[in-house]
Amino acid sequence: MDRDALRREVKDLLATGLRLQVAPADIPDHEPIFGQTLGLDSIDALELVVLVEDRFRVSIPDEDVGRRAFASVDALVDFILAERAG
Amino acid sequence: MTFAGRRVLVTGGSRGIGRATAEAFAREGAAVAFNYSRLEDEAEARETLAMLTAAVVPAYAARADVSDADAVAHLFSDLRDALGGAPDVLVNNAAITHDAPLMMVAEEAWDRVIATNLKGAYLCCRAALRGMIAAKGGRIVNVVSPAAFFGQEGASSYAAAKAGVVALTKSLAREVARFGITANAISPGLVDTQLIASLAEPRRRDMERQIPLGRMAAPAEIAAGILFLASPAASYVTGTTLHVDGGLTML
Repeated sequence: MDRDALRREVKDLLATGLRLQVAPADIPDHEPIFGQTLGLDSIDALELVVLVEDRFRVSIPDEDVGRRAFASVDALVDFILAERAG
Repeated sequence: MTFAGRRVLVTGGSRGIGRATAEAFAREGAAVAFNYSRLEDEAEARETLAMLTAAVVPAYAARADVSDADAVAHLFSDLRDALGGAPDVLVNNAAITHDAPLMMVAEEAWDRVIATNLKGAYLCCRAALRGMIAAKGGRIVNVVSPAAFFGQEGASSYAAAKAGVVALTKSLAREVARFGITANAISPGLVDTQLIASLAEPRRRDMERQIPLGRMAAPAEIAAGILFLASPAASYVTGTTLHVDGGLTML
């Protein structure tokens, strides 16, 4: 899967999985996923961990990995690609 | 059959409260897994497993130390295969104690009690939550003790660990409420288990005199409280402790 398609899939998952009031295309690429931009908190992150692990077959075992993976949509795309390559 | 189609993990299920709880869930139709930690518990574990299997539900037993993160990961992975999915209900019952006044408690003994009783609850909750969040529902019941509320002479590590589990339960209940998951504690008073049976009769009578209901609990009476907290009837109960102690603490 190329990077743009994966980015779209990640944004779709964020919008539908977390029931955001934001269109997937309007989710920024470089802002932190959790924080003020999308109004998501660290407990919402738990649900995203489960959704991302299930959809993309990656593992986000703890907060250290989570912080890196959820730094932004772009970071999450990088993380998924790196996990799959490994 | 309140728990038909449900999957339950009871830690420390080879005997006592854990065994009674596993059996009670099986009678209500749940698929039940349990663990035990010591090799010498294996015979009792086999007995429990046979009783569960007789209830014609899928059942699974494994030797696993709840204070060991890798062992917990394996336990969850194996029980998913054996029961056909992640647990809907987790009962953190596994616990050990150590009898010595604090000034004399060996550091290694202190660490072991905290690791099994408190870290074990953390590790098992952590492993169970992914499945529960994905399912948008789940029940966690942590077995604590009057020692968590009143303290207990000669059992500071046990009391401290159990008080820790009470606080863990409250914090977790707040964290996962939005996913339809509840977390509660149950505090059994004096229960008629092997430990109590080994006490001399006068000591036993002395203990029973302190209980308003005038007797010890049968393990099945504690199991009944655990099943209530895991049942649809307790849908609006979270973050609390159910004291099933014959009136001992009245908290």
